Amino acid sequence: MSLNLRQKQSECIIRMLNLNQPVNATTGMANEEVYKILIYDRFCQDILSPLIHVKDLRKHGVTLYFLIDKERKPVGDVPAVYFVQPTTPNIQRIAADASKSLYDVFHVNFSSSIPRPLLEDLASGALKSDSIHRISKVHDQYLEFVTLEDNLFSLADKNCFVQLNDPSAGDREIEAIVDKIVSGLFCVLATLAVVPIIRCPQGGPAEMVASALDQKLRDHLLAKNNLFTEGGNFTSSFQRPILCIFDRNFELAVGIQHDFRYKPLVHDVLGLRLNRLSVQGEKGGMKSYELDNSDPFWAANGSLEFPEVAVEIETQLNKYKKDVDEVNRRTGGTKGAELDGSDLVGNTKHLMSAVNSLPELTERKQVIDKHTNIATVLLSEIKERSLDSYAKKEYDMMVRGSIDRSELMSVLKGKGTSNDKLRFAIMYLISSENIPQSEVDIVEAALREAEVDTSSFQYVKKIKSLNVSLASVSSASRGNIVDWAEKLYGQSISAVTAGVKNLLSSDRQLALTRTVEALMEGKPNPEIDSYILFDPRAPKSSSGSHLRGPFKESIVFMIGGGNYVEHGSLQELAHRQQPVKHIIYGTTEILTGGEFIEQLAFLGKKMGLGGSTAAAPN
Amino acid sequence: MFSPLVEQSAVALSMTSVSVSTCRDRTAEFRSLSQTLTRMEGVSTADAAAAGIGPSTTKSSLQHASSRSEFNKKVSRLGLGIHEASQKIARLAKWAKRSSMFNDPTVEIQELSALIKDDITTLNAAIADLQTFQNLEIVDGNYSDDMVVHAHAVCDDLNKRLMLATKQFQDVLTTRTENIMAHQTRKQIFSTGGSRQSPIQHLAKSMNQPPPWSNSSSATGTLQPTVMPSNGFQAGNQLRRRLAGDSTVTHQMEVSMLSEEVAHQENRSHGRASALQDVESTISELSGIFMHLATMVSRQGELAIRIDDNMDESLANVEGSHSALLKHLNQISSNRSLLIKIFAVLILFLLIFIFFIG
Repeated sequence: MSLNLRQKQSECIIRMLNLNQPVNATTGMANEEVYKILIYDRFCQDILSPLIHVKDLRKHGVTLYFLIDKERKPVGDVPAVYFVQPTTPNIQRIAADASKSLYDVFHVNFSSSIPRPLLEDLASGALKSDSIHRISKVHDQYLEFVTLEDNLFSLADKNCFVQLNDPSAGDREIEAIVDKIVSGLFCVLATLAVVPIIRCPQGGPAEMVASALDQKLRDHLLAKNNLFTEGGNFTSSFQRPILCIFDRNFELAVGIQHDFRYKPLVHDVLGLRLNRLSVQGEKGGMKSYELDNSDPFWAANGSLEFPEVAVEIETQLNKYKKDVDEVNRRTGGTKGAELDGSDLVGNTKHLMSAVNSLPELTERKQVIDKHTNIATVLLSEIKERSLDSYAKKEYDMMVRGSIDRSELMSVLKGKGTSNDKLRFAIMYLISSENIPQSEVDIVEAALREAEVDTSSFQYVKKIKSLNVSLASVSSASRGNIVDWAEKLYGQSISAVTAGVKNLLSSDRQLALTRTVEALMEGKPNPEIDSYILFDPRAPKSSSGSHLRGPFKESIVFMIGGGNYVEHGSLQELAHRQQPVKHIIYGTTEILTGGEFIEQLAFLGKKMGLGGSTAAAPN
Repeated sequence: MFSPLVEQSAVALSMTSVSVSTCRDRTAEFRSLSQTLTRMEGVSTADAAAAGIGPSTTKSSLQHASSRSEFNKKVSRLGLGIHEASQKIARLAKWAKRSSMFNDPTVEIQELSALIKDDITTLNAAIADLQTFQNLEIVDGNYSDDMVVHAHAVCDDLNKRLMLATKQFQDVLTTRTENIMAHQTRKQIFSTGGSRQSPIQHLAKSMNQPPPWSNSSSATGTLQPTVMPSNGFQAGNQLRRRLAGDSTVTHQMEVSMLSEEVAHQENRSHGRASALQDVESTISELSGIFMHLATMVSRQGELAIRIDDNMDESLANVEGSHSALLKHLNQISSNRSLLIKIFAVLILFLLIFIFFIG
């Protein structure tokens, strides 16, 4: 039983659209089809748009859909389904709508648990206008997260990294942020209906979030009718997943580096957001595409490197052309219509099968056209910014641990936007263990020459000097033998071994992937032994749980920002295992490299390292 | 390590608990809150509200409610009708699949398909009725824009569901036709393999397919021997007249030639019959294709629109900016510059006039 978050969330939303009555799929439509109106706010619009299209809404009887802030006209005698966040403006708006009697009956659904004071506000607001009879139902849906793919979710929590690492943040602010993250995670767990084992590294926001989540789950499980009826006491680790919580500072490089695979490229370069992309079409004018699991090409080739993707598009196009020729030949469409009198029935049969296969062929062509367009735009961007050389050089830097000075300078003076150069410089800082101060100064000077804002660079320099953990992580990936080789034989041998290592592992393993693998296996491992374990189901008195055994499923959560690179590498890990395991990846928000640099720059300025006044990134 | 039985029971238990809702119902809490609040605020405010607003609003709301709920009642009745029709179509499909050569429930299938056809036509008429009723309401009553859109969407949805049901019905009929044709070819194979006892009877059977232009629930195999025997006898008469002129032909030859001729005719008629059958099936398939195309074309209109397609918003923005620009243009091109220019020209002329005169 694998956890499919997207499907579970869709089911919950469909149930909500059916006015929270169980949907009996066997008898098809309900006996009395009720037509309703859906109203949501901006956050819930982000939740709904990757999951449900207008077609599906119509299928479930929703005729109109509005934003709650929009001016709406009365549509009497029709029930309205509200799906909003429990905030004060929303409550006021609902009460106003009820007083104006815009709709017949109000079914109010909140995306997370509505606190008692707000519920009282709603009741009093509705009472004042004597319209309390209109509000027929109030539900807590526990759906306050955005699911982009079956195993990728985000809490859409903006600027979380900045807020957590802000030197001027007080205790109360940090607690508020932690609470928000915990409530989002709780919604995810409630939708999946699992109580996992929680593990996290010591110290930092990860431990805070883990302990708060553990507390919340314990309190919740004490109630009689809780949301987690897993039935029975399953003490076997086979049934419960493991929830691993990490902080962005654990591995900073992944958020910054340039990656050359299809999904990360599209996200980073073209700005994929909520599975939707806007690119310049071939004949001019913006085209908007949707990229999610219903697109077979995207699902199959998202993790390939870009040149391979281009080859795949070619193959698909040739296959399509062949199929179209086949259809034409069979129906005699190309070479003059030979009306074979005796074979009339055969002809019509061919014609019918051709007509039946037309929609499928058109769809395939559309997909191919879409990806051709995307790939063309990507290619022009890559050429302009020479992203391939950035990706390759950064990869080499991380694997080898050092880079030729002349190469570094040539990159900093070469092609690419200022963001690209900044990211490269920061990767240089992170990858090499001990860099003499003179080198760093030269790099900084080169950056200033290129008119690049160096606040983020300064920030990372500061962080690096404060904790050595950044560098130690990358050294572990290289392994001891390369150090030894470098010390004894010099550059050439290290180059050879590095080349060999490239052959051995096609992609350098992220520290995150290594750690998750170790945690899922559960064998004693020096890296993870210091990790704390929480088990909300175990009684508080018992010191350690025995549930460290191998886990079949896991949920990995990254506080502060994640991206498609981590997601892709975790999926690769899952598929590589012998009995295929399942990993769900979630984060507070999905950031491109550029956005993450902005947040680092903001932090640098806050610490007074950059010079100019700090402006919060949006 | 764990026995498969334990795991199976575990999976079964977890499967049953899937239907447990992962949402919390706070309605009861809300109700109790409202009650406590009403009690706290006291009875007076509630009384005043009830008395003041009371009769007028309730009456008008009742009026509105009655007219709108009529629309709703019609809609729900139609929805129920369509649901029942599709259930009947499902039953018909089961029967059509099940029918074999010997146990053909022809009569029931005929009745049921006639019934379904009637239902579909009445539903079609009812939906058209509803649309006219709604248009009248829109003109009469004060429907808001959103209500108009809602009503249109409801009618579209009903139309679509009826069209789906009709399409299912057509599919069932096509499978039924195919089945019948298969039965008949099998019958022909079995019967022509045996003796040629009653070629006339065979001719009668095969020729009495209903003419190809009746594409109703056709080919139900109801045999009405009307035309054929006369044709055969006519041909036989013609043959005898020809033979009568020929004196050398003996009686036996005559009989054999007659039977041969009849056999030839039988073949020709068979050919004609099968050709007719082919044409008929082709036409029905073609009609199926056209219907399919029509649905495809109409479905193209409903592209995969996402909820956050900000089409309306951008249109509103463009219109807003357009009006703002117009306003700005008006402000700029005010009359002031024109007036100044006119005055300057006038003063110039005045000066020249005075200069020349003075």
